Amino acid sequence: MDVMARLNSGTMYLICGGIIAFVAAVCVIFALRAWRAGKAIGMDTSVMLKVIRSSASFSVLPAVAILLGVIALSGALGVPWPWLRLSVIGALHYETQVAHGAAEQVGIELTGDAMTARAFSTIALLMSACIMWGMVLNLFFNKKYSSTLLRRGEKKGPSFGDTAMTAMFIGLVSAYIGSYIGGLVSGNARFDLAGDPVPLCCALAAAAGMMLFTRLSALKGLKWLEDFSLALAMLAGMAAAILFRVLFPAAGNGAAAAAESAALMMGGAML
Amino acid sequence: MSMKDPYESYTKKTHVIGRIATLVTLCLLLGAPFVIGAYLGAMPDLGAAARGFISVGLVWTVSSVVEFLVYLPMLGSGGGYLAMITGNLINMKIPCAVHSRDLAGVKAGTKENEIVSTLSIAVSSLVTVLVLAAGVLLLQPLLPVLESRVLRPAFDQVVPALFGAMAFRYYRGHLKLALWPLLLMSALFILVPSLRSQTSIMILPSGALAILLAWFGWKKERAAG
Repeated sequence: MDVMARLNSGTMYLICGGIIAFVAAVCVIFALRAWRAGKAIGMDTSVMLKVIRSSASFSVLPAVAILLGVIALSGALGVPWPWLRLSVIGALHYETQVAHGAAEQVGIELTGDAMTARAFSTIALLMSACIMWGMVLNLFFNKKYSSTLLRRGEKKGPSFGDTAMTAMFIGLVSAYIGSYIGGLVSGNARFDLAGDPVPLCCALAAAAGMMLFTRLSALKGLKWLEDFSLALAMLAGMAAAILFRVLFPAAGNGAAAAAESAALMMGGAML
Repeated sequence: MSMKDPYESYTKKTHVIGRIATLVTLCLLLGAPFVIGAYLGAMPDLGAAARGFISVGLVWTVSSVVEFLVYLPMLGSGGGYLAMITGNLINMKIPCAVHSRDLAGVKAGTKENEIVSTLSIAVSSLVTVLVLAAGVLLLQPLLPVLESRVLRPAFDQVVPALFGAMAFRYYRGHLKLALWPLLLMSALFILVPSLRSQTSIMILPSGALAILLAWFGWKKERAAG
């Protein structure tokens, strides 16, 4: 059996699936405990149900995008290992970058044809080791750090903590939106206006979608929409990305995109 | 007879379970390459792994420390354990926890936020595990749909869609606060196009500026009574 066949074998599914099952069990335990603790401190169960519904509906679309990451890496690493990496601890942008860096170190290209058993086990070790520090820090410092934060949060009188968290998140969102604006204005060189407009258009469409669904959910009888507003707004943004690519196939991509658009139209017709 | 505070006992156990789960996951993830190596008949090349760690891993080590310090306050202790174990923080767990906090109307750093955050990250992680498991199971029939040229642009833009939607939600009530970080980030990404590959690092100056502005605003509000 060649290396790729063994990387896609039942044994590999068993090893990786076993670890994923363990992590899923941990999630179930945390969810059940949080639910019970919420009830014990007098939280409204309808609020907790709202959180569950919203989190579940929101997570589907990013999870499908993560699945594409599994597919992208499966050509070189087989299906089970990327499945494990992206289900547990991994991040979409991290895995691809580290896998390529690791392949460079073992002196191969990250392709199925070049993969050897030793290269794979080395790449797998590196992918696990490079991103373990969040967990290591949690082991030693989570308790102390979160206890300090909780004490501050529970202090009587005005606290800056909640405002700081909102500000930090605004900073996070601004970094990404700023990168889409920068990507459009300075795509390949400063002020060349040849960048890809799709991320910004998609973000704007999602923002418009969020505005619409937020307004609708304020109407009588449509309150339920609030739980799904984020997922629906994301769908609106993603639909805008498809529409934009169909209407302006060459935007931001030059001639290559024009060629792609022909195929896109054909694909659309086939779907 | 002393009555034990149920929340205190919940928090204590959360740390015990969180630490055990983290330790076991760490052992499983670091052990798996060796188990797979034994199965394939070739153990990892530790020299190459060490060289690789120096060239790629150190950046991620710094990034992990920053992520821990910045994101744990948003995630809470239980959510923190889960999010670090299940990953995909920026593109999934953080927005999910923040959105849930908003929906539930709870404040950061409170007991209620701890519960909401843990619940939302656990559910989000389970949905991810289920979607990926279903996707892997149905990979062959799903492949043409997921990789179709029509749908591909949509899946490539999940993160812009997510941050666009979140931008409306958060900019709406804090326009003044959002303006400067957005202007600064846009200017930086326009003037230094190569920074786009470092967006996750740029969260730090952007977040720091937003927190600084929020701090001044908060002080001013307090002084005004």
